[in-house]
Amino acid sequence: MITRVLVANRGEIAVRIMRACDEMGIDTVAVYSDADAHALHVRAARHAVRLGPASPSESYLSIGKLIDAARATGADAVHPGYGFLAEHAGFAAACHDAALVFVGPPAEAIAAMGSKIAARRAMQLAGVPVVPGETPTDQSDASLAAAAGRAGYPLLVKASAGGGGKGMRLVRHEAELAVAVAGARHEARAAFGDGALYVERLVTHPRHVEIQVLADHHGHVVHLFERDCSVQRRHQKVIEESPSPAVTPQLRARMGEAAVAAARAVGYRNAGTVEFLLEGSGDEAHFYFLEMNTRLQVEHPVTEAVTGVDLVQAQLRIASGLPLPWRQDELFQRGHAIECRVYAEDPASGFLPQAGRILLFRVPERPGIRVDAGVESGSDVSVHYDPMIAKLIAHAETRDLAIVRARSALSEFDVLGLATNISFLIGVLDSEPFRIGAIDTAFLDVNGSAFIAPPPLPPAAIAAAVVHEERTAGAAAAGHARETPDPWSTLQGWRG
Amino acid sequence: MGRAGRFIVRQDEASTAVEVLADGRVRVGDAPDPFTVRTAGEGHYLVSDGSRTWRVAVVGAPDARFAGTEGLTARVEVEPEGAAPRKKARAGPGETAAPMPGTVIEIAVEVGQHVSAGDVLITLEAMKMELPIRAPRDGIVSAIRCRPGELVQPEVALVDIS
Repeated sequence: MITRVLVANRGEIAVRIMRACDEMGIDTVAVYSDADAHALHVRAARHAVRLGPASPSESYLSIGKLIDAARATGADAVHPGYGFLAEHAGFAAACHDAALVFVGPPAEAIAAMGSKIAARRAMQLAGVPVVPGETPTDQSDASLAAAAGRAGYPLLVKASAGGGGKGMRLVRHEAELAVAVAGARHEARAAFGDGALYVERLVTHPRHVEIQVLADHHGHVVHLFERDCSVQRRHQKVIEESPSPAVTPQLRARMGEAAVAAARAVGYRNAGTVEFLLEGSGDEAHFYFLEMNTRLQVEHPVTEAVTGVDLVQAQLRIASGLPLPWRQDELFQRGHAIECRVYAEDPASGFLPQAGRILLFRVPERPGIRVDAGVESGSDVSVHYDPMIAKLIAHAETRDLAIVRARSALSEFDVLGLATNISFLIGVLDSEPFRIGAIDTAFLDVNGSAFIAPPPLPPAAIAAAVVHEERTAGAAAAGHARETPDPWSTLQGWRG
Repeated sequence: MGRAGRFIVRQDEASTAVEVLADGRVRVGDAPDPFTVRTAGEGHYLVSDGSRTWRVAVVGAPDARFAGTEGLTARVEVEPEGAAPRKKARAGPGETAAPMPGTVIEIAVEVGQHVSAGDVLITLEAMKMELPIRAPRDGIVSAIRCRPGELVQPEVALVDIS
């Protein structure tokens, strides 16, 4: 069994992993950059090692420093979290070479899923549906044009090595193809050092539905059902839920089987997520393999809520060589869970990321609400890292009740000192398309501006600010004296 | 408590006249119904207009005070009406300041160069994004107050334009 884990990450996910370790009696090692010396994740661990300056390349992305830190502290395992080096096959291999257990899949599985061309070929061989399209082996303009003709328009030209939309072009008609191929190839070379492209038919109005899988070292692979992540802004997930409002039991079974086949095809181990595009809904829907995320996902708590499985603890057990404790037919979804990602960004200024000090961070306390946060009151949000500061997860008996619960909790989530997207999240939850579950991945990019509240605060907030000013100024001037006892102020710790 | 008085509340460009009535209720702008404000903990208020109640949080020192409700938050300055304006906490004009802390990746102008309003002066990188700092008006660059690679803070002029 693993005894001491170095968590090669920061923020909320580092804290969340350390809590799972604590509960399993596993010792924890935090790593930090100079920008994070006072961060929550550093205090959540039993041991902490400074990596270097704030820049990720000199801290959280430095494989050498991380391996050194693990050796220096006697760690026997490394958990990469998500982002940073989580999907870097070289890091998994470096851990292996240093006799450290990498809490994740083998380097070979990361590499197999890291190349879009290789992953797609492996999925086709395994019988997992893929979007119609192909990857010409000679990569000439003529071959790409012929491939485009067979896939059909509209289509996408994509970088094989890439992600995050870099090197991707939408082509509506044949006439646009030559320019798109040249642009995508140039961008792919610049971003990834590899100009290889593939073309695929554009799936119209797709939902993003992904399947969580777990695979142990004893040949067992199970899936933990779906998450619907169709609420995205520029390919960045904003709200995720399980179950998906578009998935029926029959479709769920088909997608689950496909995800398990995908994991088996690459010799997958540990937790992973197979992402699909879903076209249509219900038993008649088509789904196509998009990619596999070879790591723990940001949105893993919605699966934890509906299945009752602690995914991080499952990861640590699998990495320790223990078999999965359940069979597929022992896993169920119960109720409905919704996750809202809280970002330090200002919707009213084009979602500009915000940096600065959080003066107040007060988490709502309600039944069925979980908040995973990497900050607290007084934390500084730096410019160096991802602006996601917390995730709020609501779990209830039904989707309608989960929406109400998430909405109520968000309205009580006080983050003051810098702008956040909380009011935007409330707007999305309140919207009719979200409430009836009739959205696709373009929903926010098309309709998102409707959920941006104009900057001036509501008059009620102005009234409170004036009363606050009066009282604090009065208290400062008159010492402790008050003209009349205020029953509210005597109720210490009472929360509205 | 319940001291009647008139105040001006400023947030960014918006300013609102507020009147605290003799009975302690608060009238904001020209809204017909005054608000009742109850304290619900440290810096935590329940504000009602008779039909709806808002939870409002207020924190920070008087020169860096924030109020928030329903996920919206903004810096607010409260001043008694007619009082001399409080000394500004924010430094200078800051016309060429960074909107957030960031690293200078390019300086596109030189001292003595003529620039037109909207010209890019400096390119910053912050939170994985490039942010251009543009000339607020036509003029001559009289000083450059940053170096490539430097981490600069907001509210400090990076380029002087005369």
